[in-house]
Amino acid sequence: MNPPLQDSASHVITLLASGMLVVQLLMAVQPMLVTNIRLFAIQSLLLAAIAAVVGGTYGAVHVYVIAGLTLAGKVVFLPWRLERLVRQIRIEQEIRPFLNMPASMLTCGALTVLAYVVSRPITSLERVGSNTLAVAMALTLTGFFLMINRRKAITQVLALLTMENGVMLAAIALTTYGMPLVVEIGIFFDVVVAVMVLGILVFRIRETFASMDVSKLNELKW
Amino acid sequence: MLTAILVVPFVVALLCLVTRRCGLLELLNLTGVVGLLVLGVKLFAVVVTNEGAALTEWGEFLRADALSAWMVLLIAAVSLSTTLYAVRYFRRDLSEARVTRGRFREFYVLTPLFTTGMLLVVLANNLGVMWIAVEAMALSSVFLVALYNSKTSLEAAWKYVMLGSLGLVLALFGTIFTYAAAIGRAGDAMPSFHWSRLMANAPQLDHHLMTLAFVFVLVGYGTKAGLAPMHTWLPDAHSEAPSPTSAMLSGVSLKIAVYALLRFHILTTACLGSGFSRDLLLGFGLFSMVLAGPFVLVQTNLKRMLAYSSLEHVGVICVAVGMNAPVTVFGALLHMGYHALTKPVLFFAAGDVHQHFHTLDFRRIGGGLVRSMPVTALVLGLAAVAVSGLPPFGLFVSEMTVLAGGFTSQHVWVSVVMLAALIVVFCGVLVKLAGLLLGPSASGRPRETVSPSGVVAMGLPLGTLLLFTAWLPDSVRQLMEQAANIIRGVP
Repeated sequence: MNPPLQDSASHVITLLASGMLVVQLLMAVQPMLVTNIRLFAIQSLLLAAIAAVVGGTYGAVHVYVIAGLTLAGKVVFLPWRLERLVRQIRIEQEIRPFLNMPASMLTCGALTVLAYVVSRPITSLERVGSNTLAVAMALTLTGFFLMINRRKAITQVLALLTMENGVMLAAIALTTYGMPLVVEIGIFFDVVVAVMVLGILVFRIRETFASMDVSKLNELKW
Repeated sequence: MLTAILVVPFVVALLCLVTRRCGLLELLNLTGVVGLLVLGVKLFAVVVTNEGAALTEWGEFLRADALSAWMVLLIAAVSLSTTLYAVRYFRRDLSEARVTRGRFREFYVLTPLFTTGMLLVVLANNLGVMWIAVEAMALSSVFLVALYNSKTSLEAAWKYVMLGSLGLVLALFGTIFTYAAAIGRAGDAMPSFHWSRLMANAPQLDHHLMTLAFVFVLVGYGTKAGLAPMHTWLPDAHSEAPSPTSAMLSGVSLKIAVYALLRFHILTTACLGSGFSRDLLLGFGLFSMVLAGPFVLVQTNLKRMLAYSSLEHVGVICVAVGMNAPVTVFGALLHMGYHALTKPVLFFAAGDVHQHFHTLDFRRIGGGLVRSMPVTALVLGLAAVAVSGLPPFGLFVSEMTVLAGGFTSQHVWVSVVMLAALIVVFCGVLVKLAGLLLGPSASGRPRETVSPSGVVAMGLPLGTLLLFTAWLPDSVRQLMEQAANIIRGVP
């Protein structure tokens, strides 16, 4: 079995993980699109930091690689790509969610509580930090909510990416070392390609519909 | 050999990327799929003679047992018939300016990539790599669904990729849980993620985590497999994609997702030693079957109706695996094979109807297809008879095998519900298609122009279906029995 993490490292990881959740809640109430993209970058930066702390504590080289990939991909490349897309298609900046801000905030709060409740039986399986698994679950659930609450195609892509951040956090929390390197790298490239594909699709939708509002995609029924 | 199987379609995709001539694109694709089928048959022969021992390459990174070999055969067969049909279909689309040359090339580049993704799913031993392959398969097919670039096809593609990605995030969660379940059990901090290694230590895996993992994976890969209630992308994508892509989606890609689910099902059952995953598969499968019936009955769009019929067939496969009798699991594999030969033909015929009438709406096409399009009508009629499970076609045999197995094992009620659902879909498909094929034809319709290549593309799978219904070679039966034993966890 793994040696117990040093207390300080454990605290730092818990703090960083909570930071990810706070950023997620900020995204839920932030009306500006570009700010949302930057918030996602910050959240990914926190994830990379967690990986780096884990790597440092255990001296595991391959967790550093994960941290590096996260930094390069999700902190720098994807936000840059998404911001460029926003500029390219010149969409209005404001996100108009279906639920208004206070209601979104309340829903996200409720989902976070739910995540803590459902992950209670499995918190004993965490190997890193405390309650990191609950935070990962909360990120996934609120990411899901953000996805269905938003009309604009790009914001849905962002929501999907935050869910993915949650899953990667769970991977570190449950396994310490993350998954075998070939899998981590594969997942990383898949996510990058997915965002590129979604970007092109958003561009085409924008051209054809003269809008990015996915609630207008409603011609196909049962 | 496993490497070669993966490399062939990938190289074809790369070559097509740099090719500009339309004829050459078609030729490259055709050569690729023929080569793939030859390799698939060779793999099949090797696996059968090895008595089910798995073939591995790259230090067990790639692994093919009887189940994988069976899936490779299905992928190769559907790819071949699709590519044969696509030649004429896209030439006509190109000449009628329904697609641009750029989109035409896109099809021939992305389709072999899509095939490579599917092949990697069934050949990868590492469960993480399998997830990556499923994602790659999903991403490479997005632009195939959106090929026509119309409002509806973009909508379908958006739903396809968003729901698919959502499902895959959940599947990734499940995959990570599976990995976490192995940590510390086999003694080291970074255990192998190979399915075969996990199977060897299955009873020692963390039971709680495996249970959770299977639930996540079921919802995740279940979304890709189109299991109800996660099926909502399925009719949209199948109806809006160009017909060759619909055939690929319905003919194999749904079954590839089922395959991914089966690998976890086998692992979970070996770990827990209970019928937990089995019962879940049974429940979701039955729900899909029951749900498909009413939607087939009220459908007004030909390809959407076919999509719901696919939903029903995925349901049959899951229920048959869930019943877990030797006969029913064998029936499930048989059903996969027969369905892979039948459904593409239906989509091909529907594609011809679409190109002829420029609509898929039953009400706007009217009736009398036998007069305006005699050859297509004959093929559509035969394939419809096959897909609704009437003799002399194979799906009758496989469905009867499953039902008989269900009645003789302790699943009488499941079998009764299944039979009822089958009858509803049977009536739906036949009534809808009888209306389309027979009856008075609307006046002033031009007659179809029949081309030999189109007849071959549609006739070949149907002929093969009839052949393998009448005569199932012993070696194929042996392979399926070995695969059924793998699914049932019998050594």
